[in-house]
Amino acid sequence: MKNRLKVLRAERDWSQQDLAGHLGVSRQTINAIETEKYDPSLPLALKIGRLFEMCVEKIFTLDDERSA
Amino acid sequence: MLSVFLHKKRKAAQALDAARGAAGNAGEALEQTRQVYGVRLLVRGLLWASVYLIARGVLELQGLPPAARVALALLPTPFFAWYLWTWMKGVGEMDELQRRIELEALGFAFPAALVFLMTVGLLDLAITLNPEDFSLHHTWLMMPMLYYVGLWRAKRRYL
Repeated sequence: MKNRLKVLRAERDWSQQDLAGHLGVSRQTINAIETEKYDPSLPLALKIGRLFEMCVEKIFTLDDERSA
Repeated sequence: MLSVFLHKKRKAAQALDAARGAAGNAGEALEQTRQVYGVRLLVRGLLWASVYLIARGVLELQGLPPAARVALALLPTPFFAWYLWTWMKGVGEMDELQRRIELEALGFAFPAALVFLMTVGLLDLAITLNPEDFSLHHTWLMMPMLYYVGLWRAKRRYL
């Protein structure tokens, strides 16, 4: 699954640690999501969407969606 | 003895609370909580291993009455239960990725241990393995080793 987390975080000038603090997860989890090694759970994805005031689909997209 | 234990427990709880409270945000608090549990796991794991080694060393001596031998054999169990309880509480404090890593480590270790024990059992039937190398008090050590292999694999995948 692709995501725009790194871009959105950079737009707000937040470090991975800052974002981790907002979401209540570890910095390693943010890094794993940004590098697309780990797909977040639905509750975490929804929290991310709420934090950035965006729909989850605007942040996370399935691999085949971008190429289509 | 009990008061010393309770005092230490209270201090450890205060340290954990301080770790949570002093952290500027939840991410840092999570990291510090993980560190506190890491230290606790290390200390309690070393305590359990020490008691196990002492019990095993004494059990290898001859001339102890059977009741004392059974008591010695059971001696490490409460220490291991304490270690396990700490580990389970630590897992409860983890975030979802850390839990996934633990789950994958165990998901690797359990079937790998099953295959290992099955193979040792069959080999023992085939060629009668030396009990000095392949008895139960040696082979159980493979289980924590396989857990750490699983942990390494899972961390390499996600971190």
